[in-house]
Amino acid sequence: MFTKSTPLNDDREITIRIAHWQIELGPPDGIQAAIDRYMELNPNVEVKQVMVPSTVYRQWMRANFAGNSAPDIVEYGAWLDGLADLPVRYFDPLTEDLMQPNPYNKGTELEGMPWLKTFTDELMEQRLNSPEPGQYYAATLTRGSLRLFVNRDLLKEITGSSERVEDFAGMRRIFKQTAAFSKKEGRKILPLGGSKDNAIWIMGFYAGGVTNKFNRTLDDYGFLGLYPWQTQWKYLNQEWDYQTPGIKAAFKILDELDKQMPLGYMSFLRDDAVRQFMRGEALFIFAGTWEATSLRRLAEFPVDAWRCPQPTTSDPVVGEHMLGHYADGSVSTSFGLYLNKRSPHREVAVDFLRFITSQEGNQLFTDKSGWLPSIKSVSVAPEIASFISPEDGYTYPGGNISVGGGTRSVFQKNLYLLTGPDGSIDDFAAAMDRDMPKAVRSSLAVYERSARWAVLPQDSRVIANGGLRESKPDDPKLLLGQQRLEAAQNLSEARALMIARQLELTADFGQN
Amino acid sequence: MPRIFKLLSCVVLCLGWAGLTQAKDENREPTLDQVWAYATTSQPIEARNILDDLEGLEPRVETLANAVLDMSRAPLSVKQWAAIEPVLAELAQADDVVAPRALYLQARMYQIQQLKPDYVRAEELYLELNQRWPGSHWAQLGLVKLGLVKLYALPEPLDVEERFAAVEALLAQITEPTLRRDLQLQMGWAGLFHQRPLDEVLPHLIAADKVGGMMGITPEDVMIQIGELSFRAGYLEQSKAYFERFLREVPSNNKRYNVRMRLKEVEAALAEQEGMK
Repeated sequence: MFTKSTPLNDDREITIRIAHWQIELGPPDGIQAAIDRYMELNPNVEVKQVMVPSTVYRQWMRANFAGNSAPDIVEYGAWLDGLADLPVRYFDPLTEDLMQPNPYNKGTELEGMPWLKTFTDELMEQRLNSPEPGQYYAATLTRGSLRLFVNRDLLKEITGSSERVEDFAGMRRIFKQTAAFSKKEGRKILPLGGSKDNAIWIMGFYAGGVTNKFNRTLDDYGFLGLYPWQTQWKYLNQEWDYQTPGIKAAFKILDELDKQMPLGYMSFLRDDAVRQFMRGEALFIFAGTWEATSLRRLAEFPVDAWRCPQPTTSDPVVGEHMLGHYADGSVSTSFGLYLNKRSPHREVAVDFLRFITSQEGNQLFTDKSGWLPSIKSVSVAPEIASFISPEDGYTYPGGNISVGGGTRSVFQKNLYLLTGPDGSIDDFAAAMDRDMPKAVRSSLAVYERSARWAVLPQDSRVIANGGLRESKPDDPKLLLGQQRLEAAQNLSEARALMIARQLELTADFGQN
Repeated sequence: MPRIFKLLSCVVLCLGWAGLTQAKDENREPTLDQVWAYATTSQPIEARNILDDLEGLEPRVETLANAVLDMSRAPLSVKQWAAIEPVLAELAQADDVVAPRALYLQARMYQIQQLKPDYVRAEELYLELNQRWPGSHWAQLGLVKLGLVKLYALPEPLDVEERFAAVEALLAQITEPTLRRDLQLQMGWAGLFHQRPLDEVLPHLIAADKVGGMMGITPEDVMIQIGELSFRAGYLEQSKAYFERFLREVPSNNKRYNVRMRLKEVEAALAEQEGMK
């Protein structure tokens, strides 16, 4: 009776809740598997999974945090529009916890390793986008990439082969073969499943590949890359626009892609594109690997995941603008789980985060979800191994169909000028430059405000840390804490000042 | 005694011990350090609860602690700002451990804790802090903050060099390595913003990198930056060294491929240079 790892009764003393929006097939199963095992190991704790549709997630988060009813652990992403103020106000950093070994890794090859070091990317996304530079606010569950999912049987029927083609020239051949097959067989088949989301993903991916070469020329800071705030500043500073040849060239490839999707795709939802694929009306669907489990579980045919065939530097349409092969996956792990600062059960919530990102917990997650793991030494199932991108592509983000914040809506609003019956690249580019300045300015202002707001409460923390040091001046931990707090604040503060300066210098541009 | 009863006895004893330990924790005397510890970790409500329970605290320390907790729910309203600033100004008049912290915070109130910053007043206060407690941590931190403002915020001088000369003068008074690092990093980045020559920018970035301990993605970015800017400035060996170090020390970064490709160009340029000798 004392050795059985189940509670003596069902009244578990502590309940914690974990909320996320990954409600497609797969992830909820993976999380539940980890929860079940955790509850076996911790008979006094109940963990409840709260699944919130992505369409309402932002509103749900804001309402629940404002109303003090948010779960103990919540999924969040720095890219979520309009929520930049939430992390510092409502989330608790995990930095100190991450510096300690994860006890659930005892007996594994990760034993004794600081928790932070057990993630395959050592939480790169947090190093990039932490609400406070230098602080880690999240533990991640997975990693992803963009893939072209293909109906293997249909591809063989159309082309006689199910082998992946090497480049975009090969894709153009498939586009033509599909049109001919469709006409000959009298079956409605298009190369690409289309919806607003899928179209934006594939267009952003291909446009990003074409603009890599030009974007590299904007890198005056020598970061070998551009951050969104730099791209936005350079747009407002009129260092690039949609007339720039290295940017405008990307529209040619968008025009090609547009013609491979069903009419009216911008009014379709993600599920519509999936249905086109499932019904055999679309040969491919371009999506993140987060869609893979749903696609494979629902399809009645074998689904392969291709690395997206790319234009080469000798491509007849965009080759002269290509830098070379470009990245189709990120090393960053994702599905970031954040800790509610007001959780009454911080220790338990952190303990659960440790478990679900331990070797055992993350293995359960990946096995049951079909998503890649985020933890080193967790084995990857053969059917998802192709989701991992090797380190073989340039990544110079910058000018693209959207450049952060609310700029995507400008693209969506004007795309018809490129793809409509009288569509023209010139008209589309002109419309982008007409509407983009205001959206870019607004987005850059959000960056400034976010950096400034991150700074404000830190003054109290800096002085409080000074108070602690008064009584323990030789405590190295306190000294380190002081240096980190001040360094983080100095970084945010300088960024806020710089962006404010940028906005000031370009005040006359983008006020339409 | 049956084995099960022995086990039960152990459990009861353990539970009793745990209960006593908990009770002992709950009865622990509140301390000022607990207040500061909660405030440092952004838990002002808990900090305030303990502060309210503290007895016999030195009044000036208590006043400062209250002001610090009042400031922790930023952004401050105009009313809150107007209530806190005079308190800090009053505290800053004395000559004890509380005063420099209060004066530093007072400067921060003008620089950043109001919607429309008053950089002129903030500068006066930072300079006063440096004059009254030269070399203290708070004075040096104040000089860093003043430096940041001068790099970006103050009206453009006719000559950008004046801006940097002013910040160089501040830097010369800062001795704490991590604070020097923070300012030098920003001098390097502001140098790029203001399009200063690479020979002016690189030494600041190299100095910041040497101190180490930078936060977030910054150390990785700075390694790449020094490699790339050195390449552009023609310091090929230095460029190679930083790129190689990045690849060695940073196993996981999306820009590793970019760096590897650039390193090939650096090596080709070095080989060409070698061939010309």
